Amino acid sequence: MNNISRRSMLVSLGAASLGAATLGLTGCSSDSGSDDKGKDLSKNREDAMDKFGVNEQFKAAKPIAFTTLLNDNPGYPEKAGWLFWTELAKRTNVTLKPTVVPLSDYENKRSVLIGSGSAPALLPKTYTGQEVPFVASGAILAVSDYVDLLPNYRDKVARWNLQGDVETLLQDDGKYYVLPGLHQDVWIDYTFAIRTDILEELGLQVPETLDDLHNVLKAMKAAHPDSYPMSDRWNQPTAGGALLQTIGQAYGCGYGGGWGYQNATFDTAAGKFVLTGAMDQYKGMIEYVHTLVAEKLLDPESFTQTDDQAEAKFTSGKSFVISTNAQELVNIYRPGLAKSVPNGKVAKIPVPIGPAGAVKVGLRLENGLMISTKARDSKDFVAMMQFVDWLFYSDDGQIFAKWGVEGVTYTRDAAGNFHLTNDVDYVGLNPTATKKLNVDFGFSNGNFAYGGSTQLLESTFSQEEKDFQKVMNARKTLPVPPPHPLNADEQEQFALYEAPLKDYVQQQTLKFILGDRPLSQWDAFKSELKGKNGDQYLSLINGAYDRYKKSKAGGDKS
Amino acid sequence: MVTLDTNATIEDRPTQPAGIRTTRGYRVFQVVNGLILTGVVIATLYPIVNIVARSFSSDGYIRSGKVNLLPRGFNVTTYKAVMTNSMFWTDYRNTVVYTVVATVVAMVLTTAYAYVLSKRDLRGRGVLVGVAVFTMFFSGGLIPNYVLVTTLGLKNSVWAIALPNAISVFNLLVMKAFFEGLPVELEEAAAIDGLNTYGILWRVVLPLSKAVLATMVLFYAVSFWNSWFAAFLYMDHSDLMPVTVYLRNLIYGSTNATSVGASEADASALGANIQAVTIVLTTLPILVVYPFVQRYFVSGVTLGAVKG
Repeated sequence: MNNISRRSMLVSLGAASLGAATLGLTGCSSDSGSDDKGKDLSKNREDAMDKFGVNEQFKAAKPIAFTTLLNDNPGYPEKAGWLFWTELAKRTNVTLKPTVVPLSDYENKRSVLIGSGSAPALLPKTYTGQEVPFVASGAILAVSDYVDLLPNYRDKVARWNLQGDVETLLQDDGKYYVLPGLHQDVWIDYTFAIRTDILEELGLQVPETLDDLHNVLKAMKAAHPDSYPMSDRWNQPTAGGALLQTIGQAYGCGYGGGWGYQNATFDTAAGKFVLTGAMDQYKGMIEYVHTLVAEKLLDPESFTQTDDQAEAKFTSGKSFVISTNAQELVNIYRPGLAKSVPNGKVAKIPVPIGPAGAVKVGLRLENGLMISTKARDSKDFVAMMQFVDWLFYSDDGQIFAKWGVEGVTYTRDAAGNFHLTNDVDYVGLNPTATKKLNVDFGFSNGNFAYGGSTQLLESTFSQEEKDFQKVMNARKTLPVPPPHPLNADEQEQFALYEAPLKDYVQQQTLKFILGDRPLSQWDAFKSELKGKNGDQYLSLINGAYDRYKKSKAGGDKS
Repeated sequence: MVTLDTNATIEDRPTQPAGIRTTRGYRVFQVVNGLILTGVVIATLYPIVNIVARSFSSDGYIRSGKVNLLPRGFNVTTYKAVMTNSMFWTDYRNTVVYTVVATVVAMVLTTAYAYVLSKRDLRGRGVLVGVAVFTMFFSGGLIPNYVLVTTLGLKNSVWAIALPNAISVFNLLVMKAFFEGLPVELEEAAAIDGLNTYGILWRVVLPLSKAVLATMVLFYAVSFWNSWFAAFLYMDHSDLMPVTVYLRNLIYGSTNATSVGASEADASALGANIQAVTIVLTTLPILVVYPFVQRYFVSGVTLGAVKG
C-alpha cells in the first residue's frame, strides 16, 4: 500500500516525473566541478580569525550561522534550547542550524541530501568508509587539502602519532574526505564478564590468558555439570560478533573474527596482505572456540540466540561467562543478576591474552565529519574550518562538547578530575540528580563529543572501568595496516568479491566451530577460498598497496 | 472448541447455502479450515497481546524474557513517562493532522479522477488511465522526487506528505471499477431532471458509493497513519515528525545503540518496555477505528473487484 502510493508520488503532476529527473541530474552536476579552483582562499576569509593557533579560542568576527546535519538520538532528542547551542554561540559567535534526522535512518537521509545537492555544510557522525560512495560525485570536500586551516587537528595527529591511522582514509587520488575523530590511545571496551562469586566459590583466579579461561570454564563445568558455563550474545549482524573478535585478536589475525573480521589482513613479516580466513592464526581461533563447544563449555546457541536470550541465561544464573562492554555490565547484567541471584557478583575482566601476546588492536579513529563541497565557495569557509577545528579538535572545544560549562554542568578539582555539578547526571555518575547532561543540556552528544585524550575519555568512567582501562592501556598497540586505496574500477570489482568471500568465511567458521565440519578439512577450505575469488581479491589489494608505496616513494623524493 | 466453531461459521456464512446438508468431505474441510484459521489467529494475536503485556510489565522481567501473555510486575510508570513526554504528543498531533489532511486531499483527488475515468465515452480516457498506470511501473526515483518537493517549497509542511502521495493508483482503479458498475440510467435520469455533472456526482453517485468511499478512507487513513518515509524525508525538525518516526527511532535506538559498538555517548539506556508502551499508544486509535469501518471494508473491496 505504502509502496504503491510512493510509486504514484508524481501522479498528480502528470508527466512531471521526467522534468523532475532532469532537475535531479542538474542538482548533482552543479556540485561537481568545483574541485580545481585552486587553493586561493582570499575570497573565503570573511569573519575568520587572522591568526588561529593551537588551543586558541575561536571567535568569528560577527555572528554567523552554519548548517549541520544532526543525528537525533532517542535517548536525548534534540532541543532548541540546549545550553550547548547558546553557549556555543556565545563563545564562538557561531549558530549551528541543524537539520535533525532520526538516528534510525540517518545514512539514508544523508545520501538523499548529498545526492540532491541540498546537504548542509557539516555532516557529522560519518563512520570510516561511509564517505567512499560520495567521493566520485564531487559533492564532498577533500578535507585533506585544507588541513593547514586546522592547527589543533594537525597538532593532535602529530603529537599522538596518528599519521598512519589517518592514512588509512586515503582514497585513490591521495586525498581523504572525512575528518576523523581522534583517540589518543586504542580504546578497548569489549571483553568478558565473569561471575566472580563462582570463581571464589571454586577457589579460582580471574583468568589472565585464554588457557586460563579454558581451565576456569572446565572447573565451572565440573561444579555445575548440567549447565553451559558460557553462553554468549551479540550475533547481529555477524554471528559471534564480539566473541570471535576478541579471541581472533588474541590469536593475532588482524582485527579478529566476528564484528572485526576483514577479508584481508596485513602480514608484517611478508610485507603484503593475506586472506584472514586462511591464516593459521584464524585457524587457531577456530580451534580454540571449537574446543570450548566440543567440551560443552560454550553453549552452541551462542552463535544463534538473541541478546535477550543470552542475557536471560546469564542474569538468571544459568551461565557464568558472557561477552560484555562497560555499559551492558552496569545496565543489564548487574541489575538482572541482583534480582535472581542476590549474592551473585559479576566483573569485567581484562581481555584474556592469547598467542599474540599482551597486545591490543584497533584504529584510533572515531566516526567523523564530512564537509559539503558547496561550503568551500562560501565567503565564511575559513571561519567554518577554524570553528570545526576548535569544536572538534581543540582541548577546550572537546571539554566543552563533552562536559559543558564549568560551574554550571561540571567542576574540576586541583588534580584536573571532572565532577558533575550536584543536580546533573550522566551515565549514572550522579544518580540522584534530576537533570541529565545530554538530555537537558545537549552535552556529551554523539554528534559533537567523541575522541580526545585518554584522560578526557576516561573522565566519565567509573573507577572499576578505569582500572580495566589501566590494564589494557599497558598493552602494546599493534600498528595499523598500511593504506591500499582503490580506484573507482577496482572499487567496483572489490565490492563484487568482498561480500561473498566474507559470507563464505563466516559461514564456514561457524561450521568448524560447531563441529558440523571437521577441522581436518581446513586445507580443503583454504582452496575453496580461491574459488570465491580469494586470489583476485588479494591481488587487487596488494596491487593498490604497491601502487601506494610507489607513489609515496616518488612523492617523498620530489 | 468454541474458537474453532466461531471461526468456521464466520468463514462459511457467504458460501454455504441454508438448508443444504453438508457432505462429509465438506465437514472435514471445515474442521481443517477452522484449525488453520485458529493457528493464524494465534500467530497474529500473540505478538499483540505480548506487546500489551510487556507495556505493563517491569523492566527486570522483560529483560530476563519472562513476560508472555500476562504482564508481570504490573506497573504503569512507563505509560506515565511516555504520556508526559511533550515530544511524543507533538509528534502524535502531527500524525493526526497529517492523516486527516492527507486523507481528505487524497479522497477528493482520487474520487474526482476515478469518476472521470469511469466515463466510457470520454475522449482521451485511455491516456488518462495510462498516465496513472505508468506510475505503478516507473517512478522518478528517490532523489528526483526529493529535488522536486524541495524546489516546489513543500518541505517541512504537511503538503510534502499529502500531495506526492495523494493518489494511490490501486485505490484509483478500484474506485473507477466501482463507478463503472453503477447503472448509467441513474445518471441519465438525473441529467434529465436538470442536474449538471457535479450535481450528479455529488447527489447521485457519491451517496450510492458509501461502501467504496468508506473503504478508501480506511485504506488511505491507515496508510498515512502508518507511513513514516515521506515525513522522514521531507521534515527537517523533530517537532514536525509523525509519531511513527518517533517510534522507529526509539526502537532502533534501544536495540542498536548498545550492540554495534557505538561510541560511548550513544549508549543510552532506554527502559525495556518503553517501546511496547509507545507501540500500544500509537496503534490504539487505528485499531479502534477498524471494527466500525470493517463491514464497508469487505463489501467495498469485493464490489469494486468483481465488477471491474
